[in-house]
Amino acid sequence: MSRGSSAGFDRHIQIFSPEGRLYQVEYAFKAINQGGTTSIGVRGVDTAVVITQKKVPDKLLDPASVTHIFKITEGTGCVMTGMVADSRAKVKRARLEAARFQQDYNYEIPVDMLSKRMADLAQVKTQKAWVRPLGCGMILIAYDGEKGPQVYKNDPAGYYCGYKATSLGVKQIEANNYLEKKIRKKPSWNHTETIEVAITALQHVLAVDFKSSEIEIGVVSKDNPKFRVLTEEEVDERLTAVAERD
Amino acid sequence: MTSIGTGYDLTAAQFSPDGRVFQIEYAAKAVENSGTVVAIRGKDGVVFGVEKLVTSKLHESSSNQRIFTVDKHIGVAVAGMIADSRQLITHAREEASNYLFTYDQPIPLKQLVDRVSSLLHHYTLHHHLRPFGCSVIFGSHEPEGPKLFMAEPSGVSWGYHACAIGKAKQAAKTELEKMKTEDMTCDELVKEVAKIIYTVHDEVKDKSFELELSWVGEVTNGQHKLVPDEIKEEAEKYAKESLRESDSEDED
Repeated sequence: MSRGSSAGFDRHIQIFSPEGRLYQVEYAFKAINQGGTTSIGVRGVDTAVVITQKKVPDKLLDPASVTHIFKITEGTGCVMTGMVADSRAKVKRARLEAARFQQDYNYEIPVDMLSKRMADLAQVKTQKAWVRPLGCGMILIAYDGEKGPQVYKNDPAGYYCGYKATSLGVKQIEANNYLEKKIRKKPSWNHTETIEVAITALQHVLAVDFKSSEIEIGVVSKDNPKFRVLTEEEVDERLTAVAERD
Repeated sequence: MTSIGTGYDLTAAQFSPDGRVFQIEYAAKAVENSGTVVAIRGKDGVVFGVEKLVTSKLHESSSNQRIFTVDKHIGVAVAGMIADSRQLITHAREEASNYLFTYDQPIPLKQLVDRVSSLLHHYTLHHHLRPFGCSVIFGSHEPEGPKLFMAEPSGVSWGYHACAIGKAKQAAKTELEKMKTEDMTCDELVKEVAKIIYTVHDEVKDKSFELELSWVGEVTNGQHKLVPDEIKEEAEKYAKESLRESDSEDED
């Protein structure tokens, strides 16, 4: 890899390399994989789902305290992938931004606006030399009154986009390939089908069959536009349905 | 993949090529050099134990405090750079005081841990700051039951049934995993915590140590206190006897 005639600091702080790259931002993307987990977001006809692995590495940990799915507002939730402390900071900020919007405009922030705001904040960190980007990615879901279920993804570079389905983490390339194949058939997934697609995708790329204690699922749907995390029983129901289909 | 971060480890505002922030990892190493801290959440409370290594016979015993109280109901045990931890304790006390003033009730433990974790995390973002070199264990007894959390220099915090940090944390964790801590009462746990500290203490590398024990639970009516001397002595006696039974080395 040619370094051109840089001063050698382009890998160390937030300055451009001679090829026009920001190495520190690229390294921040690598940090998302450090957690060793994969997360997926899927949008159906009337439902949006986020799913992630629940890894409890230490037997002494209280599993009830381990979660990577967070509620931002009544109708918006997210799954965080990457450095845990950075994730929590980002969620805190998202909650603050959403609350401010609610106070100023008296209605809940639309998820695309929230995503845009978080992206703008992330961009600021890519332009200052003395602050590092947050090493985490955020997949937001909400049921928008006008547009239906929405899935938005934010990354450390300050990029954001709406998706039919997307993923983050160690196996994101494989997961995205799998999801692309599924989407190509232009399906119309109902509530349970959307959840099952997300489960199947995750199981497929990780080559495991999950137990309900090993995954977390967050949903919003037309019938239930409030963001909520599925209980273990509900996760079990979906897992059983997926297993029986195969 | 380099595990020494040469060149990418100068500030916390720097990622390495494989996406790690080495300053945070180095801060965690500072914790590993400190005396062991063990905390267990039982049925009716939380017990803390700290292995305070005595570096000089001239030190007055019980002068280097490692366990602190935040408000009345929260106990905090620290490992790592003790000077850094004092900053955290001051901050925690301010947060608890603000919460009490705003909401007219004592701060729930999760809220306090959240706020301290945010501070820890903040110091891992900026070029002109270094991360705190200490891990902090929080415990309290709330109406819903006893709670135990640990926050690391990275700002990550989780809830625990039992945790150990410091020099001998691996050995202590092995002992902890053998126990059924959810069913044990504070009286039983005090003895077990003392036993674990005595068991994992390295006689060869560190000469003498002082044990600091504290608890918070039904037995203290929800207030965090140092374990009374008589109970502490009994616990230490139990610990020393268990050691004698398990091997034939003398205790000094």
